[in-house]
Amino acid sequence: MKRDDFLFEIRTEEIPAATLAGARRDLARGIGEALEQEGVAAESVESYGTPRRLVVWARGIPERQSDSESEVLGPPASAAFGGDGKPTRAAEGFARAQKVDVSELEVVDSARGRTVAVRRRVPGRDAIDVLAKAVPRVIGELTFPKTMRWGTGERSFVRPVRGLLALFGARVVPMEILGARSADWTMGHRVLSDGTLTVTGPADYFQKLRGAYVEPDSEARRSAILDSARRLAAQVGGRIDADADLAAVLADLVEWPGLVRGSFDPAFLDLPEEITTTAMRVHQKFLPVRGTSGLLPHFIAVMDNADDRHGFIGKGNEWVLNARLADARFFFQEDSREPLAARLPELERLSFQDRLGSYAAKTIRLEELAAAIATAVGRADVVGQARTAARLSKADLVTRMVREFTDLQGVMGGLYARAEGLPEPVWKAISDQYRPQGQGDDPPREDVGAVLSLADRFDTLAGIFRLGLVPTGSKDPYGLRRAAAGAVAIALSRRWRVDWSGLLEKAISLYPADLPGLSPPVALAELEKFFAERLRNALERAGSSYDEISAVVNVGSWDFADAAERAAALTEARRRLDFRGLVLAFKRIRNILGAEDPGQPSARFYREDAERALAADFLQAKALLEELVPARRYSEALETIASISPSLDRFFVEVLVNCPDGDLKRNRQALLGAIRKEFTRIADFSEIVVEK
Amino acid sequence: MLTLQKLIAELSAFWESEGCLIEQPYDGPVGAGTMHPATFLKVLGPDPWRCAYVQPSRRPADGRYGQNPFRLAKHLQLQVVLKPSPDDVQEVYLRSLERLGISAAEHDIRFEEDNWESPTLGAWGVGWQVVMDGMEITQFTYFQQAGGIDLSPVSAEITYGLERIAMFLNKVDSIYDVLWSESVRYGQLRKLEEEELSRYYFEVADAGFAALLLDRWEAEAKSALEAGLVIPAYEATLACSHQFNVLDARGAVSATDRVGLIRRVRDLACACARAWVSSRAGIPVLATEPEPATAV
Repeated sequence: MKRDDFLFEIRTEEIPAATLAGARRDLARGIGEALEQEGVAAESVESYGTPRRLVVWARGIPERQSDSESEVLGPPASAAFGGDGKPTRAAEGFARAQKVDVSELEVVDSARGRTVAVRRRVPGRDAIDVLAKAVPRVIGELTFPKTMRWGTGERSFVRPVRGLLALFGARVVPMEILGARSADWTMGHRVLSDGTLTVTGPADYFQKLRGAYVEPDSEARRSAILDSARRLAAQVGGRIDADADLAAVLADLVEWPGLVRGSFDPAFLDLPEEITTTAMRVHQKFLPVRGTSGLLPHFIAVMDNADDRHGFIGKGNEWVLNARLADARFFFQEDSREPLAARLPELERLSFQDRLGSYAAKTIRLEELAAAIATAVGRADVVGQARTAARLSKADLVTRMVREFTDLQGVMGGLYARAEGLPEPVWKAISDQYRPQGQGDDPPREDVGAVLSLADRFDTLAGIFRLGLVPTGSKDPYGLRRAAAGAVAIALSRRWRVDWSGLLEKAISLYPADLPGLSPPVALAELEKFFAERLRNALERAGSSYDEISAVVNVGSWDFADAAERAAALTEARRRLDFRGLVLAFKRIRNILGAEDPGQPSARFYREDAERALAADFLQAKALLEELVPARRYSEALETIASISPSLDRFFVEVLVNCPDGDLKRNRQALLGAIRKEFTRIADFSEIVVEK
Repeated sequence: MLTLQKLIAELSAFWESEGCLIEQPYDGPVGAGTMHPATFLKVLGPDPWRCAYVQPSRRPADGRYGQNPFRLAKHLQLQVVLKPSPDDVQEVYLRSLERLGISAAEHDIRFEEDNWESPTLGAWGVGWQVVMDGMEITQFTYFQQAGGIDLSPVSAEITYGLERIAMFLNKVDSIYDVLWSESVRYGQLRKLEEEELSRYYFEVADAGFAALLLDRWEAEAKSALEAGLVIPAYEATLACSHQFNVLDARGAVSATDRVGLIRRVRDLACACARAWVSSRAGIPVLATEPEPATAV
């Protein structure tokens, strides 16, 4: 069948950069799936997008659905035809209702027996008709973090819809979406091009758009930005920091990226680099330029314009950045007049959370918690520093600098603490307290910082969980998933072997007992599930498979570092040892015993050679494990466990566990129970998936 | 060089030519042009409305003793309300910049996501900050809700930060260097006021008095509402909102108080909005034109 391409563009006012990538992906997937369901699957579906348009190009769609057959059942054959084979009134009525002649009725075998039926050939619908119906539905099903209404207020989308292009081959696919009617034309760049562009198909569309200063491909815009930025930086003897995130955001803020290099007053290079780069990257979305020995007084700005013919854009950006840096210097000097400790009373007025009180109250809890954590991780020697860091940790929230440059929270506190002459572990801890910010971010540099970061995360998690505000689905307004994942990452990176449940219990206990929401034990149980999920993600990233992770986490999840070691040992051991027999044996034990613990076996009731052999091997292995497991020599322990596999196999072949003799039966169960108990201290092998 | 007063005149003339009524500033202290009844009340209900006005916006906590080149206890906004929001509202806005001599093709003008919310007014909207050559010059909002009521039709609200734009056009590094007129700079006119307002709000203002005023204005708002007087009730609500800002600047609002105080003001604003909608149901936004007096 002849195939044709579908080109679709929905034009809007500026879509937020942060939602563009998701919208592009969802749109391509939605249209691809809809076409497949309708039996007109495309050979490929690609999507593009700029702040002002979402575009789909679905290639090779068959012109028409294949024909199909439908069957409508009527009365039983016996009732439809009289003894003479002539149609009865029932048959005539059915034919009339189906709008066919009686002669067209057929008799078929159905679930109801011999039945009269009407069969029709249903011709396939034209793809253009399928598209006209399916595409508006797909658009309607797109989800965004926030939608809005406009104009008459009847329609809602991420931003107002201003136009629609929909072509199948060279024909317009008729449709109306959110007030816009489909057509065969588009618009170029808002200020760099004029009028409408009539389009005959995909190739024509892309060519004309690019001629009208719109690059529809986000990835092309991003790499153009990075290429030009590198070139502009090199011209002044510098390079740009690798900043893929910022480049991606910039790419989705413009339709036609142009770049301009500007400079700022070199006197600002005296400011701490964190401040200068934050002003550039976060506030102005500029790429800083770095030379061999630090920042250069230049920046690269991306504009939604082809060039800066009059130099207005470069000058404007320079002027704004210089003003911002002047502001920052003023804040920095003002803030430096007072020590951090002098700001603590102000924290009384800064709310941490409506019902959880102020940052002053949080600071008091953090001190206690940081001290307890330092002790638990074996650094009782730094309890004093941990307390100091905790007490001052939130003071920078009320500095002028952090009020203005919120991204510098922590970092500024660290800079001010250093300037005050506080010990290095203390200022570094304050500086690093929010690390890691997310996956791929570094954890705190030193132990005191790691302790403080854990204390802060535990305190927030404990408080919000106590209020019953457990994150669900995509709703996580307090960023608790990231907070918990960061805590797991810290524990893993420092290999701190601690059962963290006790410290979370303490974090919970530091809040008033009468908070509304979950009771402390329920909150802790919820936290256990929540942390186990974060731990699973971390183990998966470390290369363990789903079943290995389940096996490890089932045995215990509160000591993250230990769980990670067990998982690593298990994943590694499975590559070299044959666990299949062992796993099947453990599944069998689970089937026999369920969750019951049948107590200790006794040598008195051993009858068969196979059970004596198993008991002997078990005792020998047990003795070894008692040495290996506490020493966390998990690889050797797993070898020991695997070594019992042959005698377990033999046991199951030769010995009948559920035998008629009650004592023997109980004892055999007890032997298996004891093996399970001893051998599942590293992993629950029954969770492991093997081929039967 | 475009002076501040010329800037205001040009923008007003532009929006007048776009069919906007030129309103006058609200005659009491408000934190933003949105609080003017010409926005807050007029965006409610079904009738079309287009207006523009300058609103001095008073934010005591933003006072910097005249020392900060960017921050003021009292700044100027030029507020435009277009109801319903027209389809070409962005293009019309860009033309308003052209009127100021800013050609979009020669600059970098971007609409970057920035959603607006006023907890004290029970109001929020979706939109952008308009960034020109790296500088925020306008807040652009599709008003979704006011006084807790979903708005339909939806108004577009365009708020120009006048000092920012003037600084940009004058290429000066401090608000105080902006030319107000050809011969008078912003600082000559306003610096003393900024110093005194800052000192007053941060050091002198009697927090007990402000708290008392807040209580009393709240009671006034309620009794005005009971008497069916929505506009005075709303004005009393604005007075409460201002007293809250005074308390906040004075450092007299604790974390726990804050939530409760904001809720009290919001409750009033929501009650006013509901009363306005029900009292105005079926009545056009402008009173019916009176018969012209006929000469005898």
